Amino acid sequence: MEIKSSVFLVTGGTSGIGETVARYFAAQGARVAVVGRRQEAIDRVVSSIKQTGGEVIGIQGNVTSEADTAKFVRATVAAFGQLNVAVCAAGIISDGTMLTLDKETGKVSRKLSYDKWQNVIDGDLTGTFLTLRDAAEAMVNGHWEGLLVPISSVNKIGQIGQLNYSSAKAAVALMPKIIVGEFMLRGIKNIRCVGVAPGYTATPMLTGMNQEALQAILADVHLGRLIDANEIAALIGHCVVNSALNATTIEITGGLCNAGGIAK
Amino acid sequence: MNTFFYNDTQFLIEKCDDSWNLSRVLSDGSFAAVGAGLFKGLLLDEAQLRSQELVKAIYPVGIKVIGPDVAHPGRVGDLRIIGPNVSHPNFIYWNKDSSSLVR
Repeated sequence: MEIKSSVFLVTGGTSGIGETVARYFAAQGARVAVVGRRQEAIDRVVSSIKQTGGEVIGIQGNVTSEADTAKFVRATVAAFGQLNVAVCAAGIISDGTMLTLDKETGKVSRKLSYDKWQNVIDGDLTGTFLTLRDAAEAMVNGHWEGLLVPISSVNKIGQIGQLNYSSAKAAVALMPKIIVGEFMLRGIKNIRCVGVAPGYTATPMLTGMNQEALQAILADVHLGRLIDANEIAALIGHCVVNSALNATTIEITGGLCNAGGIAK
Repeated sequence: MNTFFYNDTQFLIEKCDDSWNLSRVLSDGSFAAVGAGLFKGLLLDEAQLRSQELVKAIYPVGIKVIGPDVAHPGRVGDLRIIGPNVSHPNFIYWNKDSSSLVR
């Protein structure tokens, strides 16, 4: 599949990795549908892609709403006549340990709230499922060559303080194997699915954090720096053009290791 | 510069080189981006038709209630209360899902 003739749908396309992915492929001549929750951010990304002569639409939508996922897939096809690559970059983080103890009594003083759990599961897991499902439906019915790209995280292996996020990202990392297995079962040959699991990435959330804490994180990265979101976009681009990549989730971390140099 | 209305909302379609930029006119007179670089090579009439199809897809209106959802009745004693099937993709949660609304 060629990048230039493809139509991309990018959820979470107005910030972080998603925004970079949207700009990257628009700059390469692809047609891009950007989905985000805030219209001001959509305006900014659409305007920026417009300046570079790209073809883009911006759709306000929430990936946790079935009405919205159906809507932005329909809109992409209405604008560009097809859909080839769906990148599920929408996601949220809401950290906290499952239990917090009172220092004096040693008894539980706080529990991870249901809302904190469910919001992350809805946004990161259910939102990915709904987007992939509706994008795949359009690709099958339209007979277009397609690639589904769920975005997992290196924290799928289990990160303390992220029971909600790690659980969601572990599940997302499994999706390519299951989805492609089901495609085999149903005789669907025109769509591949490759997940991407980024490590610590240079998004405003990380670059703006306490610099000492950032250095502590980087001490475990063989490359010695945060990975750039453009490097993640380039990996997705490679997945687009290399049809041998399928039914797997690829880590891109710069060589993230546990203390002592044991690769995570 | 050309405009058209859909669901009482004004949209602006502007030619830019050989393609079209589309925006939504907000109530304060400012603009929200819908798309840019669209419908390459099309003339105004065709581009406007495609734009109308696109805004209909992005800003659906109306409530489509699918039901009743007989599989999941609410129970009050012996009474079974059957509501609409809110799990259907065409059901729009108007109170929560403001992004489905044009304004």
